[in-house]
Order: sequence, then C-alpha cells, then structure tokens
Amino acid sequence: MKWTEKISYQLFEPDRDQSPGEVIFFKLFELFVIYYTIRFAWEWGIYTELRNTEVVLALGVANYFDISIFFENYLAIINAAFITILSVACYFRLGYKWQYMVVMVLLHVQYVARFSQGEIPHSQNLIGMSVLCFAIGAIWFPDKKQMPRFVMGSIIFFIGLGYTSAFFAKLIGTGINWYDGRHLWLWIGEKSIDILSREGVYNPNFLQSMALQSTAVASVILLIGWFTEFIGFTMWWKKIRPYTTALLIGMHFGITMTMNIRFDAFVIQLILVGFPWYILIDRYVKTTPRMLQKWL
Amino acid sequence: MNQSFARRGIKVIGVTLLIYALLVAPHEGEFWPFSIYPMFSQAGNPWTRAMVLDVTDKPEMDIWEEHLLQNRTADVVPVGTYGVDQIDFSNFVTKTEHWTEQRQRALIHMFGSEAIAGRRWMVTKVRGELIGRDSVAIEIKPFILITSDSTFTNPNLPASEYGRIE
Repeated sequence: MKWTEKISYQLFEPDRDQSPGEVIFFKLFELFVIYYTIRFAWEWGIYTELRNTEVVLALGVANYFDISIFFENYLAIINAAFITILSVACYFRLGYKWQYMVVMVLLHVQYVARFSQGEIPHSQNLIGMSVLCFAIGAIWFPDKKQMPRFVMGSIIFFIGLGYTSAFFAKLIGTGINWYDGRHLWLWIGEKSIDILSREGVYNPNFLQSMALQSTAVASVILLIGWFTEFIGFTMWWKKIRPYTTALLIGMHFGITMTMNIRFDAFVIQLILVGFPWYILIDRYVKTTPRMLQKWL
Repeated sequence: MNQSFARRGIKVIGVTLLIYALLVAPHEGEFWPFSIYPMFSQAGNPWTRAMVLDVTDKPEMDIWEEHLLQNRTADVVPVGTYGVDQIDFSNFVTKTEHWTEQRQRALIHMFGSEAIAGRRWMVTKVRGELIGRDSVAIEIKPFILITSDSTFTNPNLPASEYGRIE
C-alpha cells in the first residue's frame, strides 16, 4: 500500500460502517459550521457597511476588482442575506449540490470586503476550509455514506497541514532561533498596545509577567508552541489524533494567555473534529433518526 | 464504502492542494481560506501599531512631542468603545502610504464626528523594538490630530511621512 493510501485510510476509514452516532455527530458539526458561516457573514457585512471606507489591502479576488463597491448600497448586507438563505438550504439539502460552492465564493467576497483594512486574521480560516470541504464533498461525494466521511477526513487533513506549514513558515521566516524568548517580549508588547488601544487599560497577566521577567521562561513557552505546531500533521492518524488535538488546544490556550489572542471558533472546531464523539453517541443512540438520514 | 472511495478521496484532496498552491503562490501566501499561515513567522522585527490619545486638555506646544509609553500623560481613547476594531485601526494608520484628504477624513468617519464633538483626539503611531539584550522600548509618535470636522498633520514631521497629500 502506498503512503498516500495509508493516509487516506486513516482519514476516511472506508472499512468502518456508518453508525447512528456518526450521522448525528456529522449533522451537529454541519450545524456548527453553518452557524459560524451565517454569523461571520453578518458580522463582516455589518462592519463593512458601517466602517469601511477605503481599501488598504486587497485580498483574494479583491486583487481583480474594486471591492469598495461592497462598502455601500448595502451590498455586504445583501450578500450576508444570500449566504444565510443558501446555507440553510444546504443544511437541509434543498436545491442543488453546487450550492455550498456558491456559499464558499460569497463568503470569500464577504471576507475580502471586511478585511480590506490591512489585517489578515486567521481565526476564521478553519470555518472557511470547512465550508470548502462541504462544497467539495457535496459535488464529488454526494453519497450519504461518503460525504460525511470525506468532509471530516479532508478537514482533518487541512488542519494538520495548516499547523505543520505554520511551523515551517517560522523556520523559513526567522530561522532556528525563532524561539528566542525576547521575540515573545516584543509580541507581548505589541499585543499590550492593541489592548490598551481597544480598552484604554492594560495589565499583564501572571504568565506574561513570568515571561517578561525571564528569557528562559519565554523561550520555553515559544519552543513548546513551535514543537506542537510541527506535530500538527500527526492528526492524520486516527489513534494519535486525540492526543495531538489536546496539545493543539493547549497551545491555543497558551497563545491566549501570552498574547491575548482568542480563537473561539477555531478551538471549538478542534474539539469537535479531534475526538471520536460518534463512539460516545453510539453508546446512547441505537438507530439513526429518519429526518437526519434525509438531510445527509 | 470501499478502497476506491478512499483512493478517490485522497486524489480530490491532492487536486485541492494543487489549487491551494496555485492560488496562494501569486497572492503573497493568502487567498482566504487558503493560507501558508505566516503569522508570527518573522520574529524580532520592530513593530508599529496605532493608538488614540485624548489631548483635549493638553497645551498645544506639548501635543506633538514624541515620548516613551511610560512617560505618557494623555488618556488613551478606547477605540473598542466606539465600535472600531483596533487591529483595523492600527493597520489603517500604519499601512496607509499617502495620507490624502480622503484618508485623513476616513479617521473621523471611523469614529463618527458626533463621538469626537468637542474633543481633540491625537492619532499616534506606536513603535516597539528590542533594545540591547534585555529590553523592549515603546515610543509614541503623534501623527494626525482629529476633531469632529478637521484633521491636522504633525508639523514636526517631514512631509515624506505622509506621502502624497492631495
């Protein structure tokens, strides 16, 4: 068996039968993705309508047309409404199988309109990748048994890849001394200004104080985080997945503590995809609800 | 489900990865939701952020002086209170190259002129850098003064700091 086939077996588990727990979990997970898709669409749309006046940074498709047309005439709001209607229809499998791809494109436009102000946040990427995996699954794996397995497997693949690629981006961008604790001092200083600017006050927490007092402590914090990113790809193996996921969640908690950056949707999604919740559900549910079967 | 499904699945992922690479390569590593995740990849470099200080009650001669964060006497205007995302605000201030009239007025638009009414707010650039082996220096540079209907650039700074002003 080639290594790609081995990985595909770990991601898609083709020999495992579909259980009621898997169906229930999949539809709950899809609901989570739809909820955040709609929430982001409206948050980004309202912010774009109220606040954006000038394009500072053209992202994605905004490189090819003037995205500022979405700053007025309620276009961002109308886009959010379209995303909402289509997303709900997708969830209930109403309409066409390419609808999820339309949601993906509209959400991309909404993102590049909202974040045309110079910042490139990554905390929403995982929801975007999930919508894309649903879109690909709906088009190429519409079978009721294959789609859930493909969607979950591909999301896990891209999460693992993302973390490991972040490790290499740091190695290439800075070099092996990336974990020098003084770098963390600079970032803590930078985030402290962001918080001061946002709230008018800033006080370092316990972990930040410890890191600022000792280069060694700061270096260890960075080194642990960096190593955790590197092993992100081990999520591809189903037996290792829960342990890697637990480490990644711990890393995000550490980033929140040291740099005041929160990843709510990101961490919730890690909790959902990183552990085999269907086994727990199967303990209590023995048959698949007919309605859910219809919406698969 | 069978082996062919798994094989097809990994092929589809492979094609997606190819599209991923083709999209991020010419777009500086970002084509949402695709990314090479470069955040924090360049460590140790100086940074610049932005902050608003309320200088309404400060004497005119003092408001344009650069100073260290620890010597700050003016209160910080919490931009979050006015519904402004502080990251957007920072990027708007630090990444704008040409401070045209329209760009300067966009600062007032962000907060809403009624929010600034009767006040004088100083938009500042805040720069942090490593000094020597063991400290970080954070310096505040007054940049643009905004009132509810006007903007003023810092007379102490060279015109090149504001790019082309038309």
